[in-house]
Amino acid sequence: MDRDTRDMLLETASRFFTERAGKDIVNGVEKGVWPADLWKEIEEMGLPLIAVPEEQDGVGGTLADLMALLRVAGEHAVPVPVAETALANLLVASAGGKPASGPSTVALGGLSLQGGRVSGKVARVPFAGVAERFVSIIMAGGKPTLVVVPRDAVSIEDTPSHAGEPYGTVTFDGATPEFSAVSPVSADRAFELAALARTMQMAGAADKVLVTATEYCKQRVQFGRPISTFQAIQHMLAELASYVAATIASADSAARDADEGGLEKGGSFSIAAAKTQTSDFAHRIAALSHQSMGAMGFTHEHILHHYTRRLWVWRRDFGSESFWGEKIGESFARAGKDELWPALSESRYAA
Amino acid sequence: MSIPKLEFPPFHLPAEAEALRGEVRAFLKETLPKIRSEDRFASWNTPSPEFSRALGAKGWLGITWPKQYGGAERSFLDRLVVTEELLGNSAPAGSHWVADRQSGPLLLKFGTEQQRQAILPRIARGECYFSIGMSEPDSGSDLASVRTRAEPVPGGFRVNGTKVWTSGAHRNHYCITLVRTSGQHGDRHKGLSQLLVDLKTPGVTIRPIINLAGRHDWNEVTFSDAFIPEDCLIGNEGDGWIQVTSELAFERSGPERFMQNVYVLRELVRVLGRQPAKRASAILGRLIARLWTLRQMSTAVAGMMQGGKSPAIEASLVKDLGTIYQQDLPEIARTLAESDATTEEDLADFLDVAQYASMMAPSYTIQGGTTQVLRGIVARGLGLR
Repeated sequence: MDRDTRDMLLETASRFFTERAGKDIVNGVEKGVWPADLWKEIEEMGLPLIAVPEEQDGVGGTLADLMALLRVAGEHAVPVPVAETALANLLVASAGGKPASGPSTVALGGLSLQGGRVSGKVARVPFAGVAERFVSIIMAGGKPTLVVVPRDAVSIEDTPSHAGEPYGTVTFDGATPEFSAVSPVSADRAFELAALARTMQMAGAADKVLVTATEYCKQRVQFGRPISTFQAIQHMLAELASYVAATIASADSAARDADEGGLEKGGSFSIAAAKTQTSDFAHRIAALSHQSMGAMGFTHEHILHHYTRRLWVWRRDFGSESFWGEKIGESFARAGKDELWPALSESRYAA
Repeated sequence: MSIPKLEFPPFHLPAEAEALRGEVRAFLKETLPKIRSEDRFASWNTPSPEFSRALGAKGWLGITWPKQYGGAERSFLDRLVVTEELLGNSAPAGSHWVADRQSGPLLLKFGTEQQRQAILPRIARGECYFSIGMSEPDSGSDLASVRTRAEPVPGGFRVNGTKVWTSGAHRNHYCITLVRTSGQHGDRHKGLSQLLVDLKTPGVTIRPIINLAGRHDWNEVTFSDAFIPEDCLIGNEGDGWIQVTSELAFERSGPERFMQNVYVLRELVRVLGRQPAKRASAILGRLIARLWTLRQMSTAVAGMMQGGKSPAIEASLVKDLGTIYQQDLPEIARTLAESDATTEEDLADFLDVAQYASMMAPSYTIQGGTTQVLRGIVARGLGLR
């Protein structure tokens, strides 16, 4: 979609999330209350179909549009699987399938496909507790195959994330997919795209953390003046801003590269670098924001933890800084020292 | 009261700039081995007049300036690419660095026609080098408190005072010197001016200030009744503060703020060998990801500047993060090499590299605006002061 259309959509989404996905909804999900109305409205807005082509009844946006939306979703800690469903729908559509309504999620890695049946176990599947179907990409007969497995064909063990979202371990015991097709997107690439989605959500959350901490310090009066007037606090918030800036810049660059290079392979290195970067700094962002808000920000009552806990969970999802850092390090070591700068300046793996 | 949103819009360098990158890279590949200075790990503060002249002959100094002053009238993004390649390949760019980056642009913007014609073509040929005469024994971060005094006398100024940390003054030709031409000490921003000082002027004495690594980069430059002709005034008398602030902007967000010791990373890759252990690869990858991010940020800032914006906060954030990266790098690399270098010889060699880099590291967060000054700028941008 063109720039204006996207900006308008993002603004609408942001306003909508502010009104409908507030604190009570986020806390409700943590207690196991599924916000059915919120999800219904999200579907009515077409958000889960944002990157599905129009001819497949989608909104017709690009990968970049989807990623920009996920940054906004992260900024509001939207506690429903917008990212997971939109990604699942995009993958299904790219394999020629028709996305269904209702919340979906992706179960990536650790599965096998034999005789048309899916077997294996995937841990920490986000929103497994509420997803109506599970999308995966599995190597079968030398080809990446996309499968859509309905909820009633699997067994799910609830393992809520530390942000209180309904993650779970999903066991496929010879499950029969309701749809399967050769996928133009490989299993590794699907994992990369999921990592990119988390990176964008982290950028949104980081942004919100900075705003929250800054506004708080301007309001909070101690020793007779707002604590934001103390140099120690000012420098702490400026340092926080630098980590937030790195998070935002790396995520946006990766989204741009992924989009420009195409769904099947674009921005591989940039995604790895951005997920490494955002995961690496998540701790610093959480630590400084909490320090600036004292005991107040450590309470369940305050919303800061909606964001800091998500940063801690999201840095682990779809590859932490160790996972992606290892891929980058391996590649640059294999290529040797003279490839370091050429590869880095072209945002590509060295070998 | 809402705070401004931080944005780093991803920016692609244009195709001409990337084409230029290829040319610069090929040139460096051929030239650097012939010109290697005594420093194994050169950077923008390692001088080599021979190298600067070679670069000038290619037309890559003063690259953005008008042709009439020896420039190439190319874009500021072309200049960025040249800078990146010099740093990425650890070229000894120290002789021309200040002249090309800030003194030349300052003269172009505020200098007299005579000053421009006399000096800019020489800078562009890689023959004329500059020092920065800002800091004094009692004026560091608080630059407006300078005491060096230029008293108007017939035909010029009589200058008295002392400048310190004046890099390269013992090798360079000129020093753009911030002086008080009117008013009293304590008048702050008022009454300051910039003078183009020929470092061979009688009454100007240059003494070395040796840094902790034993290197002679810095100097103390003393003015004792030094006569500076009136045609050496840069811009208007009394406009020194405005001019010096614009000069400092050149010092903030460039790639030199995170690529000065990229040689450490390159050497780390070498000593870890082609197949490091998983843990070592992961740590190496994290260092590379941070450098990549800084480059994305710096490029985004360049894109915003190209688009006519002045992203002062973003530029300050790049310097803050970049200089701290350069301080973290030798320390993380050192402990990683200690556990994972492939041979004892490689390790011993690398520890010398890392030790040298660690010794140089404290300077990064001081020069060009201390981290604390930068954080003050960011805090103001966040609406905290």
